[in-house]
Amino acid sequence: MHQEPGDRTSPRKIIHIDMDAFFASVEQRDNPELRGRPVAVGGSSARGVVAAASYEARQFGVRSAMPSVTAKRRCPALVFVKPRFEVYRAVSQQIHAIFRRYTDLIEPLSLDEAYLDVSEDRLKVGSATGIALQIRRQILEDTGLTASAGISYNKFLAKIASDQNKPNGQCVVRPEQGEAFVAALPARRFYGVGPKTAEKMAGLDIHSGADLRACEMDFLQQHFGKSAEYLYRASRGIDHRPVKPDRVRKSIGAERTYSEDLEEEAKLREALEAIASTVWERAEKHGSRGRTVTLKLKFNDFRQITRARSLEQPVASCNVLAEVGQALLAAQLPLPRGARLLGLTLSGLESVKAEKAPAAGIAEAHPRQGQFAF
Amino acid sequence: MKFVISRDALLKPLNLVAGVVERRQTLPILSNVLLVLEGDRLSLTGTDLEVELVGRVQLPAPGVDGELTVPARKLVDICKSLPEGNDIEFNAEDGKVTVKSGRSRFTLSTLPAREFPSVDDSIGTHQFALKQGQLRRLIDRTGFAMAQQDVRYYLNGMLWELKEGRMRVVATDGHRLAMCTLPSDVDTQEDLQVILPRKGVLELARLLMEDEADIGIVLGSNHLRATTADFTFTSKLVDGKFPDYERVLPRAADKCVIGSRTELRQAFTRTAILSNEKYRGVRLKLVNDAMEIVANNPEQEQAEESVPVDYQGDSLEIGFNVSYLLDVLGVLSGEKVRLSLSDPNSSALLEETETDDSVYVVMPMRL
Repeated sequence: MHQEPGDRTSPRKIIHIDMDAFFASVEQRDNPELRGRPVAVGGSSARGVVAAASYEARQFGVRSAMPSVTAKRRCPALVFVKPRFEVYRAVSQQIHAIFRRYTDLIEPLSLDEAYLDVSEDRLKVGSATGIALQIRRQILEDTGLTASAGISYNKFLAKIASDQNKPNGQCVVRPEQGEAFVAALPARRFYGVGPKTAEKMAGLDIHSGADLRACEMDFLQQHFGKSAEYLYRASRGIDHRPVKPDRVRKSIGAERTYSEDLEEEAKLREALEAIASTVWERAEKHGSRGRTVTLKLKFNDFRQITRARSLEQPVASCNVLAEVGQALLAAQLPLPRGARLLGLTLSGLESVKAEKAPAAGIAEAHPRQGQFAF
Repeated sequence: MKFVISRDALLKPLNLVAGVVERRQTLPILSNVLLVLEGDRLSLTGTDLEVELVGRVQLPAPGVDGELTVPARKLVDICKSLPEGNDIEFNAEDGKVTVKSGRSRFTLSTLPAREFPSVDDSIGTHQFALKQGQLRRLIDRTGFAMAQQDVRYYLNGMLWELKEGRMRVVATDGHRLAMCTLPSDVDTQEDLQVILPRKGVLELARLLMEDEADIGIVLGSNHLRATTADFTFTSKLVDGKFPDYERVLPRAADKCVIGSRTELRQAFTRTAILSNEKYRGVRLKLVNDAMEIVANNPEQEQAEESVPVDYQGDSLEIGFNVSYLLDVLGVLSGEKVRLSLSDPNSSALLEETETDDSVYVVMPMRL
């Protein structure tokens, strides 16, 4: 597991900043006609998925990663807008510039989300709550967008707290409140607990953080395997993971375990298509492109294979990703036995960000080619 | 399937079709060409799932109908190395195809034609025709400025814009921009902007061999199709938004220089020899009636040129990547070229003085 961060005497101060309905808010900011209306960023075509939904759209049950067709059915007035990642990246850079005034310990999770370790309080603001307030105010001033913040003594709690008073709000979980806060959480809110695990927990009569905490380590291990240690600690409000600045992500992927084994080619292909969309959406959100596509297949005897293919250029679209995935799959057909899990990963990542301007000191030494300002 | 064709009639379309086939493939069948024979009409298809090219050849006599796919590269190499004027006989049986010519005989593996993928296309919304020579000029004059493997993927291609009956193409890599407008109107109703991917542009250009012949263009929401007498070319479009190129065109260039295109080109070519190999920077000094060009390299060597030009006004010193200037001067054909500048940090506009269909913008380099 993670190392204890030395002999720290006072608790850390971690802020999790999360922009509110980021892509959709940017679109509403830039196009007044969209304000107050349910907006989905993403493709409206038959195969499109919602990359982000405005709060107006969320009221109708529109969620990100939902097929556009479903979203349109839930909310017929939904307006689809094509994503403009270059704009989102530019805004992301703006908010990171704000973060950097307060700390160098910034761990971006995606374009619109980051952990900040502000234990040092470089600007002598006095409290992490005050810093979060200043950052959110500054973001609003510089970008016209709202953000929510969670403030606590570790990443796990900060992340959950940022969701607490969303949108445009913040929430503090102080060290003395941590245990009670976690105890009151629905089990579903623990990171990594999806619908499947939640169902399983409910079957074991675990519904809240308090229920989880009451479980012995052995019991957790028996039922949740690898996640046991995490659940054991998290249910006690413990999370020693440090904020890792400039975390370089190596790969972006998604996988799914199916309730019934997949055997038929058509079913497999369909399932893979859905996974490819999810992976692509994550890659877009992260602002990365990858050259290597890896297919993972786990059979119903738990034997697992992975097959990878590297392209000369980064995968340029969701369609290409799906095609390469399908080609990798096709090479395995017919499967020796049913597949219980299908996964797709994109690695060999590079950032879609425009090239960084050289640092000031170096700039004079080398000629600098001018760029168009578009 | 069985037919006879002359080596020379096969080689031209085969070469073009095989050009689309990528060396590295995600599916084995994509390294093959599809051959379909119907009576005396043979069609050949190559694809990389993004670009598809179908070539059609008329045979002197009907063969036995059929369809199959064979390794593209190997078939090209075999046909190329057979003597000119020879006939080639194709004969398919038992999952193999034999290729016979004179005393040579090759047996190639095949993959079933029904597994050969076709490029998904959309419903065409715009349709027009132009002369092959016209399209060639549009592409030749701008293609060099397309980005290559840029993370801004929408720059790795060429913008085709239909606006108020006018057709225009634009390419840019963020440092320089090339734009060419068709002088005559095209017959379409609605305005449209699409981005043809780089590979599509390059493959399409190879088909434009007869300047006076027509080429029909159909544009749909995600594909472009071009049809000539012998070929049908289909390319997916880049799904993205091309930058607003109008914003990049300099408006305030008040220093206008006119010089001989060949003299400038030669002077740049010579000074480039002693420019920094990596950055390719040259310094332009504008004084009354002359442009001085200076290049230095890290070895402290220096090249200097003075080219007589028409210029009266304040002197100006500005740096450029010499390759960008040479690229432009290389595709222009007029005798004189006009260079419009404002200050050392603003872009330069390059045009021919005789014609105004082509416009180039180059960002300066701070040396």
